[in-house]
Amino acid sequence: MSLDSFRSSSSSGSGSGSGSGSKRTSSFSNATNKTKTKTKKKKTLGVAWGSNALPPSDFSGYMALKNRKLHDQFHAQSSSSTSTSTSGKPIFTGVSIFVDGFTVPSSQELRGYMFKYGGRFENYFSRHRVTHIICSNLPHTKLKNLRAFSAGLPLVKPTWILDSVAANRLLPWLPYQLHQLANNQPTLSAFFSFKTSKLSDMEDSTTNVCQSQDRHSSKVNGLISTVSNDTIPENENTNAFMLEDSTNLVRVKYDEGSTAATQEKTNVQDELEPNHQEPSTSVSSPCSDDQNVKEFQSSAATRLSKQGHSTLTDPNFVENYFKSSRLHFIGTWRNRYRKRFPMPSAGLNKEISNNSSDVSRNSVIIHVDMDCFFVSVVIRSQPELFDKPVAVCHSNNSKGTSEISSANYPARSYGIKAGMFVRDAKALCPDLVIFPYNFEAYEEVADQFYTILHRHCNKVQAVSCDEAFLDVTHSEVKDPELLASSIREEICKTTRCTASAGIAGNMLMARIATRTAKPNGQYHITPERVDDYLCQLPIDSLPGVGHVLQEKLKKQNVHTCGQLRTISKALLQKDYGMKTGEMLWNYSRGIDSRAVGVFQESKSIGADVNWGVRFNDVKDCDRFLIDLCKEVSLRLQCCGVQGRTFSLKIKKRRKDAVEPAKFMGCGDCENLSHSITIPLATDNVEVLQRIVKQLFGCFYIDVKEIRGIGLQVSRFESAETSKQEKYSLKSWVASGNASMQKQKYPMDQDKQNMDGTSSGECRGGSSVKIQNNQANANPISTPPPLCHLDVEVIRNLPPEVFSELNEIYGGKLIDYIAKGKGTSETSSSLQNLFLEQETIDKEEELLNLEPIPQRKLLSEIEAMQHGAEQGDAVSGSGCGPIFKVTHSSSFEKDDLLPSSLSQIDGSVLRQLPEDLKAVIVQQLPAHRTQEICSNGAMVPPSENHHVSLSIKTSENPGSSYSVLDDSLWTGNPPKWVEKFKVSSCLLLKIFAEIYSKSGLSSTLSSVLHQIISEFHQLNLAHQISDETVNIISELLKQYIKVRIGRDIEEIYICFRLLKRFAAKSQLFLQVYNSVFPYLQAAVDDNYGGSLFIAS
Amino acid sequence: MERRENQTPQGQTAQVLVEFLEVAITAVVFLKGVYPSGAFERRRYMNLVVQRACHPQLRYYIHATVSGLLPFLQKGIVERVAVIFFNSGNVPLEKFVFKLAMNQSYGSAVEEVDLESSLRSFLIKLSISESLTKELPPDCRWEITAYFRSLPETGTNKEADLWIPTDTKQWQQPPLITPIKSMSCEPLCLQLYLEHPCLPESTI
Repeated sequence: MSLDSFRSSSSSGSGSGSGSGSKRTSSFSNATNKTKTKTKKKKTLGVAWGSNALPPSDFSGYMALKNRKLHDQFHAQSSSSTSTSTSGKPIFTGVSIFVDGFTVPSSQELRGYMFKYGGRFENYFSRHRVTHIICSNLPHTKLKNLRAFSAGLPLVKPTWILDSVAANRLLPWLPYQLHQLANNQPTLSAFFSFKTSKLSDMEDSTTNVCQSQDRHSSKVNGLISTVSNDTIPENENTNAFMLEDSTNLVRVKYDEGSTAATQEKTNVQDELEPNHQEPSTSVSSPCSDDQNVKEFQSSAATRLSKQGHSTLTDPNFVENYFKSSRLHFIGTWRNRYRKRFPMPSAGLNKEISNNSSDVSRNSVIIHVDMDCFFVSVVIRSQPELFDKPVAVCHSNNSKGTSEISSANYPARSYGIKAGMFVRDAKALCPDLVIFPYNFEAYEEVADQFYTILHRHCNKVQAVSCDEAFLDVTHSEVKDPELLASSIREEICKTTRCTASAGIAGNMLMARIATRTAKPNGQYHITPERVDDYLCQLPIDSLPGVGHVLQEKLKKQNVHTCGQLRTISKALLQKDYGMKTGEMLWNYSRGIDSRAVGVFQESKSIGADVNWGVRFNDVKDCDRFLIDLCKEVSLRLQCCGVQGRTFSLKIKKRRKDAVEPAKFMGCGDCENLSHSITIPLATDNVEVLQRIVKQLFGCFYIDVKEIRGIGLQVSRFESAETSKQEKYSLKSWVASGNASMQKQKYPMDQDKQNMDGTSSGECRGGSSVKIQNNQANANPISTPPPLCHLDVEVIRNLPPEVFSELNEIYGGKLIDYIAKGKGTSETSSSLQNLFLEQETIDKEEELLNLEPIPQRKLLSEIEAMQHGAEQGDAVSGSGCGPIFKVTHSSSFEKDDLLPSSLSQIDGSVLRQLPEDLKAVIVQQLPAHRTQEICSNGAMVPPSENHHVSLSIKTSENPGSSYSVLDDSLWTGNPPKWVEKFKVSSCLLLKIFAEIYSKSGLSSTLSSVLHQIISEFHQLNLAHQISDETVNIISELLKQYIKVRIGRDIEEIYICFRLLKRFAAKSQLFLQVYNSVFPYLQAAVDDNYGGSLFIAS
Repeated sequence: MERRENQTPQGQTAQVLVEFLEVAITAVVFLKGVYPSGAFERRRYMNLVVQRACHPQLRYYIHATVSGLLPFLQKGIVERVAVIFFNSGNVPLEKFVFKLAMNQSYGSAVEEVDLESSLRSFLIKLSISESLTKELPPDCRWEITAYFRSLPETGTNKEADLWIPTDTKQWQQPPLITPIKSMSCEPLCLQLYLEHPCLPESTI
């Protein structure tokens, strides 16, 4: 045994340092208790080494001892040398080197330097003590496995030490980095050089900190710099500088840099001459390199402290992101444009649109489009580049994965396209010159461009910053080609960029003509030539036909517009949807009825960030969301609109998705979204933040998986009108009767008391309150039994209300409250019980098909709303409206029902009748999305109520039944049969009876047929109720939906019968009229025509 | 009618359908009285009295066009087969549309009896549908048009080449639809309806 271990020790110990070999192996078998011989051996060795310390028990102890001793020796030597005159300035303070392999000067000389100048020298490598590894050359294996070897520490050439000594100060190590590592990062210093120059301007400013994930999906470095240039770096904490993989590191660094560069581009334009891609700029000033060292070190520190991921370490990420986003520039350009060139008055617009139909036959439209706008603007002052391949891109790293955003025609001839990765583009064309964006220049040129267009034509429709339609039908210049060429000439003179123009009879053809005209030309498609031109046109040339659509069409063997024309409109609409189908049909025939000058109001405003989004924890994410809200709020304010619907979109990394090819891109993602509509439009940052937080909560997502976030706001109201509305609502509330106000007060209080975590409770609270209202103000109606009252709520009532309530309950309330104290648990379950009760009430109301109360209710609600305007509904008359509020809010299920099934008392549910149970289960999803309004610190709940109330009442009768069930025809016999059987309406009962009598698989037409025979028996005049009409209509609609695709004959028969009934019965006339449009729409969808029903 | 046991239900149905269409189209032409009634002879099909064209060219036209559809029917890319009557100006006046839907995923055997009885009801209904149709002007012509879900690949079949892109003009307005008969019998769903122009269209 001992022999064995001994042998292994001699073989494995060969590679390592002096004398430690046998020692180390002895530790291998230390754990086994058979080590007597070895410990003895250790002892003897220890003696042999002349150690006067106690013999260490194992190898690690031995090494610790040895290191300590070496340090002691080192310190002794260095202190002795510092005392002598030869000692220099302690420039290497904090530097601790480890020399690896053969170096010139030798490791002993280096050791000498180190103790002479205040540094430390490690004989044995330790990632905790060593700050720099000094070596001249690395074997291939070590290079390959760099991280294991260096533990992320910098690998520096020995000349660093020598030069630092010569300069008598610590030089940055970066330029002395080992050649084997450094040679593939020639552009690194280019980045730092201008970054630093920028920094020197703004000493204390924080440049962005971008941290990122590398390919191996572990953290890399980040850059941070908040220091001034002359700081001497502290080297203690550099030890944790992680060097994942040299090339990777370099790439990452560079990309970060160039992003930062683009952000600062506008300011440091001069430094961004083409030379920034040449390595020559790497002759950077020492101070900048100082900066670098500092940056890396502090980044390491950041990483240590917070394991920081990503973008979000940049406090201004969102802001910077949009500052450097081209899409953002294009998107927001429109607002600028609108401010600069306000549209002609509405009247003129109307005139245009009115005329458009008459004029369309001989109208002339010019489409002007700048040639590769983003490139030509940047190089307009450098004519020597005009015929060279040039592209615009965020980053200029030839290995980079940033995408080319625009390329000029010489570049395109190499096959370079927008959206291509820079490295691919460089592979195609090594001479490609890459420029960063210059947003200021773009704005300037776009403004010039539009100034010219507006001078020549008064009907200009801007498409983008570089593209517009002109309606020159009524232009003074008769020949549109002449006009176009003069416009183009002027654009060229003013902006030094070229533009192309297409001339045709409508916008579609003009746009297509421009395609032929490009670059720098113009093309006129006269009406006669439209057909020929289109016939051979590939379908992907049509605007609106993208990759997906093109693929689908190709599958159908459609490649040109001519082939597309052979497909009927109905079929196109069926395969591609109504709108797309119609568009394809029209476009393939060159038909385009859009009028120039119609400036589409944007329907939604928002901001999406899908690049560089990496979160480490919820805090990062929250911070990001707050910034995003700020941005969106700013945009809303910019456009002067407020929105009601907010949707949060999240890109979530797919489970099996690898790190995206595009650096920091979003990669393969699932798109998730949640949205919410609030009753009052807003653009307020705080409200937005609250909404977004809530929306974000709906996702239940691991923040680390998020790759992109977008916030969109829609349903706009212009800021002024919504303010007015708010005002009127407020005044309404103010004028509401006094008792109601009193009731509301505690309601708010109650809301505040609850911490808002459970919205269901909030809702429950408010509904109970309303119920109390009723009890209070309407003594005629029976108050709810005591046990149904929420103790919490009652306790919070103002004293005067409480005493009133107490009177109603004959003094029992006080006792009840006293009893209920401390039984908050039961109170909540009681609340649930109460909610159930409410639900039952509601259901009963819905099932109660007596029309009169319904109608009365409606009219009363209307009356109430009128009454509210009068504003003096006081006590006595007040009881009326309040009563109605109770009832109508019982239709407002969101306010009454618990927010999810989990909040329902199971025992109560079990007691309910089957159908009622089904309805409740159907109405309540497992998790109802929380309504923002119920949270409403922004919207007082009372306002909220009335807003929703007014909406609901208007659509109440129509939707109530369909909400209950939208699958009336599923099952055998269909669901409706059961429902109708229990109905109180005679007609519905007859329906159900006939159906079940006539066999299970009978059709509706047969039922209708048989009804004829009994038709005269029914005294139908008394049966007309909105509810019945709605139910039958719904039944028919669903029948159409089920049958239309396969059996139009059946539908046809039903409607012919219905039409016959309608001649005799008011009820069926109503049914017929309400379903007929739906029928025709369905027929049109399926058959491309309308059903002809002979009387 | 020969039975082929080793066929897919779709292929089998298509076979039956082709026969049926030939008879049905003849019935439509007979119904509309484009030709004198002496041009047809009485035959028995599916135990029903049906008409068959005596004139070899007419018979061939109907037969060839419909059997040319067979490969497309089997693939399920035929959406509709229409018999279009149009006036001298090539403007359609009336269309008898057979709308087809073949369930391509249907796997079990076809109940030929069910299929035949369903198809028979078409012919019965068709023979009494004259009142739904419109009077045609004397100089009208007619053609068979098939609407495909996608453009067929050319050169797949000799018979398929008989089909050429139509030059019949289309109505600008969606037509009025009068259903005649619908049937659904797995894997086939067949509907016959009439299409009439929405307004009396003059030209275009």
